Amino acid sequence: MTSATQPRADGAARSARPDQPDARFLARADLGALIDALRAEGRRVIGPVRRDGAIVLGEVAAADDLPAGWGAEAAPGRYRLIRRGDERVFEHNAGPTSWKAWTFPASAPLTRVAAAEGETTYEPAGTDIRPLAFLGVRACEVAAILVQDRVLLGGPYVDEDYQARRGSAFIVAVQCTSAASTCFCASMGTGPEVGPGADLVMTELDDGFVVERASAAGRRLLDRLPTRPATEEAIADAMTAVGGARATMAGQPGVQIVGLKDRLLARLDDPRWALVAERCLACANCTSVCPTCFCTSVLQRSELVGTASGSTRTWDSCFNPGFARVAGGNFRSRTRDRYRQWLTHKFATWVDQFGTFGCVGCGRCIAWCPVGIDVREELLAIAPPIAPSVLRPSPAPIAPTPQEFGTARVTATRHETRDVVTLVLGDLEPALLMTKPGQFVMLTLPAFPRLPISVSRTRSDGIELTIRSVGPATDALTRLKPGELVGIRGPLGTGWPIDAAVGRDVVVVTGGIGLAPLRPLVDAVLADRSRFGAFRIYYGARTPGDMLYRDELASWMASADVDLHLSVDRADESWLGPVGVVTHLFDKASWDGSKSSAFVCGPERMMQATATALFDRGFHGDRVYVTLERHMECGIGLCGHCQMGRYFVCKDGPVFTLAQLGDIFGREGI
Amino acid sequence: MEHRGFVTESAVGRDVVLALNGTWFGEGLPPETQQRLATMGQVRRVPLSTEILREGEIAESLGLLLSGRVALRMLVPERGMVTILTVEPGDVIGWSAIVPPHRATSTVVAIEDAEILELSGERLRAALRADPILAATVYPRVLQAVSRRLSETRLQLLDLFAREAIVGDGLRAW
Repeated sequence: MTSATQPRADGAARSARPDQPDARFLARADLGALIDALRAEGRRVIGPVRRDGAIVLGEVAAADDLPAGWGAEAAPGRYRLIRRGDERVFEHNAGPTSWKAWTFPASAPLTRVAAAEGETTYEPAGTDIRPLAFLGVRACEVAAILVQDRVLLGGPYVDEDYQARRGSAFIVAVQCTSAASTCFCASMGTGPEVGPGADLVMTELDDGFVVERASAAGRRLLDRLPTRPATEEAIADAMTAVGGARATMAGQPGVQIVGLKDRLLARLDDPRWALVAERCLACANCTSVCPTCFCTSVLQRSELVGTASGSTRTWDSCFNPGFARVAGGNFRSRTRDRYRQWLTHKFATWVDQFGTFGCVGCGRCIAWCPVGIDVREELLAIAPPIAPSVLRPSPAPIAPTPQEFGTARVTATRHETRDVVTLVLGDLEPALLMTKPGQFVMLTLPAFPRLPISVSRTRSDGIELTIRSVGPATDALTRLKPGELVGIRGPLGTGWPIDAAVGRDVVVVTGGIGLAPLRPLVDAVLADRSRFGAFRIYYGARTPGDMLYRDELASWMASADVDLHLSVDRADESWLGPVGVVTHLFDKASWDGSKSSAFVCGPERMMQATATALFDRGFHGDRVYVTLERHMECGIGLCGHCQMGRYFVCKDGPVFTLAQLGDIFGREGI
Repeated sequence: MEHRGFVTESAVGRDVVLALNGTWFGEGLPPETQQRLATMGQVRRVPLSTEILREGEIAESLGLLLSGRVALRMLVPERGMVTILTVEPGDVIGWSAIVPPHRATSTVVAIEDAEILELSGERLRAALRADPILAATVYPRVLQAVSRRLSETRLQLLDLFAREAIVGDGLRAW
């Protein structure tokens, strides 16, 4: 049994399984042979059956027990069976029951207690079950079983009853070829293609099933079945059908899982919790139908004679009024607290506890909620994903070899200080227009060395680079005139991980020309202002005249969206702002660093002092981002100049967390 | 403390202990220490441009800045008054009042309207001499204030923004 995966953090598509060359085809008429073979091994075969107006999971003795020709429609608060025009048996999605009813029954005996002759004994109730076979386990459900494995088997103590049942189960998975409106496995990264954890994987076609082995036990069973090699056509049909389910989900709401944990935990005080609680009945339907919910209570029953009693483990729910009750009070007496507990557990704290989400995207909680509360909608309202302007994929750089360079044309120049110039570059390859905050480019002019230069703004029609004249090459760059060409490679390097700061306070600490690589971050935060908490910028310069972007600083200073603090190292009497190192502005501040993300750029010695001051403010090293400067000849990890410990600053950075850098940050000679 | 310019002499009706607690210097001091200090202190309003202290003169009181901003300046012949540092709310002004020879090391000017909690240097010195427990409580705070200023001054002295790192075969912007 494996517990290695699920749900995937990246939500990436995985290839449909039937591309394996040894896929087999099981004719529809031979489906019974599969059930017989499983039963011949002494297994109880559990599969979908039609009962009580729903497709539920129950014992299957023969292929005729399966719901041939029946499908189901699901929507928030709604589930209906429909008659289909075919004989398919798996053409429906998650129903009201899940496999945990067999691996982790709603009620299971725990301990027997007997009192006789002054002795009290406690005996484990034991687990005496027949081996199981699960027929028709969907991708999300395989993922859910692996989630429960992590919870109940993955820690230092295991649930023995679960271990026995789960260990006995042979899993015949089925890839969905359609998706209900409540399905969102694709966005959780758990389906519709079946991942690890199954023994056999089937994909249903009109005339039968493409079947693949997914374990040694699966291969042994498959060898005994009347199958033939699957034709290329059948394999292609199966892949197309599964792709159709994925496409359906792409057109309906899902969950944006990137950064979700942090976004959600930052919203514990969101007013939406109270709003959803006005609708929520706290009925616990969602936790009952959820395939991963595992909370239980223990019931004690005594025989009337009083000499023996037994305890039984039963499903409980964090929605039940007594769930968090102690003598004298209830830690979650309000429905809003219980709903928040459930949702934040599934989508946030579960990740910390078990390394996966507690949700696999099966959609059961949506369909079986009596009032139709849709977790996708609640998550979107409470912890909205970041806008595309903030979160966008890294573009592939132009000219990504040591030999190549593209060109860009200078369209405008602006003098920032006596030795700093901002170049506006146009006529760019599209990739450069997608430069993310914190990325850089390599610039070159004929006869001059190649230089890494941070992008100081990404515009719709070009990029800006702010360059200080400190040597022959930078001097030549700052003297460029509109119309002239410059060699360019990029965008390169990691950017500022702004998405990880959504919902948190943002602190920017920078000095001198270090404001340049941070300006795109400021742009991004201001463009999406409501997604972030307090926004504080601390900017130090040598003198008032050395400050960059003075018009913009003035507008930030006047804006209620930013709390801007400026400081200079030296000043005459005309400067009435702070004088002193930039850390002087916040090392005694009252704000709480544990709720903040910090972005820092400046000379390394200044960044070190900043780090010390931030740690004193309660920051953690994985929430302090710095950008480093090193000698670079290529910018793509080939020249070796920028190595720092185990990193190449150009491609592993230049943005790092202090936690990543550890004790190599600021160390002499690294 | 000797005042020049337009100083409002009347104490503002504010609880001195509360004011102490509003500064990192005074916050968290034992209540009895705060009470002792409160008997020596008063809150003064200092308008913009007031010269609070002049370099070389006797510092008559230890000040805690409650609001506003003051500049520590030194006169450099032919360069005029240079601002060495500004003091932000919560920090100390005039620590020379309790450190011999009690002469101010820079000129202090309000560059915003400011409020200062002033503790009489004479009374504070006498109390610190007479009461070792009070001294053991207060001096670490004074040392912290002075050492903080010292370490920040060192960073300023490095003049980090003046020149860029020398890397490889030339100078590069960082």
